[in-house]
Amino acid sequence: MNSLNDEPKVEAITVVLLEDDAPTLWRLQDALTKAGCQVRAAGTLAEARACLAQGAPRVLLTDLQLPDGHGVDLIRETRRRFPDTEIMVISILGDEESVISAITVGATGYLLKDAFPTDIAATVRDLVAGHSPISASIARFIVRRTQNTPEPPPGPALNTAKLTPREIDILWGIAKGFSYAEIASHLGLSRQTVPGHIKNIYRKLEVHTRGEAVFEAVQQGLIKL
Amino acid sequence: MNDHDEDATAGQLSGHERRRLQTSRLVQYFLLQAVIAGACVLALLQSLPGPPAQYQVTAFKLSEAGVERAVTLPYFSPLRNAMNDPPRFTGQFVRPAGEASQAWSVFLQRFTNGVEVTVNDVVILDSRRDPAANRPDRNTPQIAVIPASVLHDGENTISIRLFIWGPITGFLDRIWVGPDELLRPSYDLRTLIFVTLPVVFSSWQAILAVILGIMWVMRRHEPAYGVLAAAMAVGVGQAFLQTPMGGATPLSKLNVVLISSAPIESALVVTFTLLFAGWKWQGYGWILFVPGTLLALAGLFGNQALVRALFLVLAVPMVGISLVIMAVVTARSTLQRPNVAGLLLGCAVTIMLTCWIADLLSVFQMTPNRIFVSRLSYSVMLVAIGAGLTWRFARALNQVDGFAGRLVTQVREAEEKLKASFAREEERARAAALARERTRLMRDLHDGLGGQLVSIVALSERGNGSAGIGEAARAALKDLRLVIDSMDDIGGDLMLALGSWRERAMAQLRPHDIALDWRAGTAQGLPVHPELRPWHVIQIVRLLDEAVTNAVKHANARRITVRIETLAGSDGLARGCITVEDDGKGFEIMPDGAAAGAIKAARGLRNMRSRAARCGAELELSSCAQGDHQGTRVRLTLPHRFPDSDGAAG
Repeated sequence: MNSLNDEPKVEAITVVLLEDDAPTLWRLQDALTKAGCQVRAAGTLAEARACLAQGAPRVLLTDLQLPDGHGVDLIRETRRRFPDTEIMVISILGDEESVISAITVGATGYLLKDAFPTDIAATVRDLVAGHSPISASIARFIVRRTQNTPEPPPGPALNTAKLTPREIDILWGIAKGFSYAEIASHLGLSRQTVPGHIKNIYRKLEVHTRGEAVFEAVQQGLIKL
Repeated sequence: MNDHDEDATAGQLSGHERRRLQTSRLVQYFLLQAVIAGACVLALLQSLPGPPAQYQVTAFKLSEAGVERAVTLPYFSPLRNAMNDPPRFTGQFVRPAGEASQAWSVFLQRFTNGVEVTVNDVVILDSRRDPAANRPDRNTPQIAVIPASVLHDGENTISIRLFIWGPITGFLDRIWVGPDELLRPSYDLRTLIFVTLPVVFSSWQAILAVILGIMWVMRRHEPAYGVLAAAMAVGVGQAFLQTPMGGATPLSKLNVVLISSAPIESALVVTFTLLFAGWKWQGYGWILFVPGTLLALAGLFGNQALVRALFLVLAVPMVGISLVIMAVVTARSTLQRPNVAGLLLGCAVTIMLTCWIADLLSVFQMTPNRIFVSRLSYSVMLVAIGAGLTWRFARALNQVDGFAGRLVTQVREAEEKLKASFAREEERARAAALARERTRLMRDLHDGLGGQLVSIVALSERGNGSAGIGEAARAALKDLRLVIDSMDDIGGDLMLALGSWRERAMAQLRPHDIALDWRAGTAQGLPVHPELRPWHVIQIVRLLDEAVTNAVKHANARRITVRIETLAGSDGLARGCITVEDDGKGFEIMPDGAAAGAIKAARGLRNMRSRAARCGAELELSSCAQGDHQGTRVRLTLPHRFPDSDGAAG
């Protein structure tokens, strides 16, 4: 999103694409295939699971509202089965409702459905390179949750307790529309480290499995064994 | 209040300093008491003015216990009881000739216990008929006018019989016989001091008894007031009852008990003092009441003589001991917790103690006179009690006032806090409602309109010649995102809305290969406007969109620069300023501000002006069609405060 990667592709990126709206599916598939990705397209959760059964893709692109269920379940499953797969949610509006709920189950990026074909390919490549896209409104939503308010604002639940002050500063910068370079210079960071921070933020917002939750509770002294 | 403050201060001092402070207080207290005692002694040494000396009769022939001898008054009799054969004083006085028109009187200023005065063998006065005169503790004077028929010019004989019935020995002070008008002022003065004043004080005591009784009834947890009320009541009984003479009836026995209740009274006052000083009632406290009880029993089962004898050995020392205890207790409590009531009580006790010692000396005939002042000095105590009570009452009232005042202030503060918190709560509720509404709207749009628009975009890309439809659908999606975004609570920070706008603008410009140069001056960027509302945000963002769209569609620009600054206005207030500049071909601006040329562009400019006006912002347009500075510049200066209502709606 923030940088256009024009380097020649070394290895074809395998993508599983799940989108129930046929025109949109064709459109995304076209854009990715033209960019040299190997796309396995699916229109339902069942088809997507069948695609995933063939092996771990490099990237999973999924819509959330599907005829036979919700994309969140697929993201959770994929995250568990293929930890190395990058997961991206396809959103119409790029709103926090869909993006945050996907992030909390393990997605590390989002793609707007009406994005231009070049942007679609660039976003996927960036994600594979370790650059998670984040929008100003998503950043804004996250930092608002870090502020103590008597009642949680509406929207999906989000635990921001693990975010460091620096990460929150970065989110503020993104929310205000600053570029990575501007954020880096404001915070005295190297420009290259900002995408890594964002990926970390996504990872920290992910709600882990029950076992991990217990482990964390013990670590934080919430449970005594 | 003060007591606690003093305690708190004392608590903060070191032990050494506290001891020094205590010592200094002790010295001050005792100096004050010494001064009071000294003043008392001086006052007691003053003798009351008597009538002219020429009318004084001093030389008497005394016939006492069968012995006759010459005496001069005042005379102390060694007898304690002489009712049947009282000492008889016989003397002479001369009435000058020519004074027959004037009334003459006999004036006896002090005697114990009773006198019968005879002039020329006619009895003119028997003090035993006057109950007040029968009380040896009162210094009742007597005056009697000699009937004119009894008197004659030249030498007359006066004879006085002194009745003595204990408990102290008999005494007869100097007497005067002379014109009534010369003797009476002295008599009146003594009556005032020794008869009227005690009655007044006894009335005061009765009032105190009632006040303290009510106080105790209303405040049962303070028994000190009840005890003092009892003491006052006993004192009143003593003062207004008459000394029983002769006849023994059950009622007279009760009378004896009551009249000799001074030890009970003093025990009650001591108990009050102890309770007042913070002492808790203990079983051994009853010891205080032993002398009084013994005396009462003697009064009920014995005779009057026994009571009188016991009174001297029980009551008088009991009063003294009580006074000493009270002096010590009040001194201690006043030193520990300085307070006006305690200090007043202490001073009164000192005066009473001094007077009691003076009376004792008088009883043992170590002073040349026999004026008893103990009972009189008790009035000082009554005054002190009254003053102390009033002081406490006033202080309590002040505390109540202060408390009420504090309460009023606190209530007002709490009210204001509540109001502020209510306003905050309302604002929060409003924001929450908006956020919920936005979430709902977002879901609805997401499920319906949004998906359909995306499909249109996708479909239009597949077919040919329908690029216009795709563009329109994309624009609709963009606007949808703007509407939803602007409803989000950005806490008045316009930068948060511009952040999203930047993303959308970049996505819009990328296919046209136009660079977006974003220049936010500082990390803060724009001033925060708490009054910023979603509709302000929409107007501003649409205005900026219009500027960018114009640059894309009409100016053929390669680069668009967005500059965000905070400027100090001429009025010293900080104002945000957003500038959108392109390097396109520019256009001519007509004098009326509209653009020359395309009608569409003109409408766009008019729209921008209208949006700026609605937000109270200033819009500045400049365009240059030729030269180095070719391009268009839209400069939006934000108001210091956004208007509450859509002023220029329409």
